[in-house]
Amino acid sequence: MRLGAYFAYAKKTFLGKSAYRFDHLMGILSTVLQFFIFYEIYRALYGTGKSVDGITMSMVTTNFVLSLGLSTIFSPNDYFLPGRIWDGSISTELLRPMSFKGRMIAENVGESFFNLLFKFIPVLLIAIFTTGMEKPAGAQNMVLFVVSSILGYGVLFTISFLVQMTAFWLINIWSLITIKDVLVNVLSGKMIPLWFMPVWMIGVLKFTPFASIYFTPVEIYLGQLSGRETLIKCLVQIVWIVIIFLIGNVLWNKGQKKLVVQGG
Amino acid sequence: MGDTLHLITVYSKTTAKAWFQYRVDAFLRSLAVFLREATGIIVIYFTLLKFDTLSGWNIYEMLFLFSLLFLTYGIMIIFFTGLRDFGKTVRDGSFDRFMLRPRGLLFQILFANADWFAAIGHGGLGITLFILSAGKVGIKWSGANICYYLITVAGGVLIQGAVFLFIATLNIYLLQTDSLKEMLYWDMRKFAGYPISIFNKFIQTLMIYVMPFAFVNYFPAQYFLRKEDMAAYPEVYIYLTPVVGIAMYILAYLFWRYSIRFYKSSGN
Repeated sequence: MRLGAYFAYAKKTFLGKSAYRFDHLMGILSTVLQFFIFYEIYRALYGTGKSVDGITMSMVTTNFVLSLGLSTIFSPNDYFLPGRIWDGSISTELLRPMSFKGRMIAENVGESFFNLLFKFIPVLLIAIFTTGMEKPAGAQNMVLFVVSSILGYGVLFTISFLVQMTAFWLINIWSLITIKDVLVNVLSGKMIPLWFMPVWMIGVLKFTPFASIYFTPVEIYLGQLSGRETLIKCLVQIVWIVIIFLIGNVLWNKGQKKLVVQGG
Repeated sequence: MGDTLHLITVYSKTTAKAWFQYRVDAFLRSLAVFLREATGIIVIYFTLLKFDTLSGWNIYEMLFLFSLLFLTYGIMIIFFTGLRDFGKTVRDGSFDRFMLRPRGLLFQILFANADWFAAIGHGGLGITLFILSAGKVGIKWSGANICYYLITVAGGVLIQGAVFLFIATLNIYLLQTDSLKEMLYWDMRKFAGYPISIFNKFIQTLMIYVMPFAFVNYFPAQYFLRKEDMAAYPEVYIYLTPVVGIAMYILAYLFWRYSIRFYKSSGN
């Protein structure tokens, strides 16, 4: 019964998104263009060569289709909490008889379902017919890819959750959110396949959650990992979700005591 | 004239004061813009560590190509922020106030606002990239070359300013132009950081003749670097940037003058 209320929020966000058709088309166009630019760059980089360090052009293509595609689904609303602190509505929201965090998740899930159906699937269909992307390495890989993608979404969502919590102290966190986006874009494999990162950088990446967002699902899809490695990488995703969420939650508890509402 | 200069000084002071009201926030915002814009460059840097060259361009040549794009935008936004945000000015009715004042409309729009974070973020990035690359790509900074550089940067500023003026003018006919601007300017600009020769003919045509970013950075960079891929284009394009800039700006200005007669307020 209580879950019903969260479901209602998810549905409301889903339907709300449907109202902006033109923006929506622009979003798809923008993703396709971004893919096209990377594709042309790598075509020029590969030239007539077949593979670089064992990585073929079709693997690079697959990396970009999947990570840019998933990024259309993975768009947590970074201003969910900051917006409500900024305009003061947080004070009434906290009085409601349902969890604020629960609502945050519900609305993001609603939006993600919308994006899955109306952004990811169209982008994927375009890619399947126009690019030389690879098929999943096997049925098992496909299933594990979906599981790992959901976990990747969890990692990105908790990062957003953690950054948003700083709004209790900083009020205006546009800059922090922008810097977070830069880190995610560069280090997650979305703009440069992590195979091509310098060795020292790959060492650094092991201590960050970014590769868990898009790159782990891509590796699983392409069948680059053994069963054991797949298990470990998925566990790493879960560990990151738990760690980041717990830190965020500490800030959430402290933040509520500290809450300053402007005006009213 | 002296009076106009005085007004420009006053405007610059007030906009700078307004933007830098909160200093820590202003610093962070400029840094965030800087990093956001540097994303593509960081990515190409890592990529070229592995691949050495993109279509014959090494990393320093790529940085030089990027630097022109950011430097011209940084300068442009000091003057043209008012046009970037013109849609909002029309929608919230503050444009009507401008009409009552005893100064040219375009003058007020251009000087009444300047996005200093964007100017510092983009311009700072442009200067950083220039410093990193200019000594390493074999340019001899003779008098003629410096003149070419300055005139070309001015041309690049005008080209982008003309596009902003054109899109702002469309606001007089259409109330919403954000998506159009996104497509015409920002989406096309994503291609502009790279040598246009890597793209297919259709994109190249767009970049040269429709939304001529090629004249903002690609052809000017070719003046200095003379890479092989220039063979595909007429040599004279290297010198056309100021001409394209002035021509586009005059056309955009005439369109503005013609359209402003049809302005109808959006109400109260």
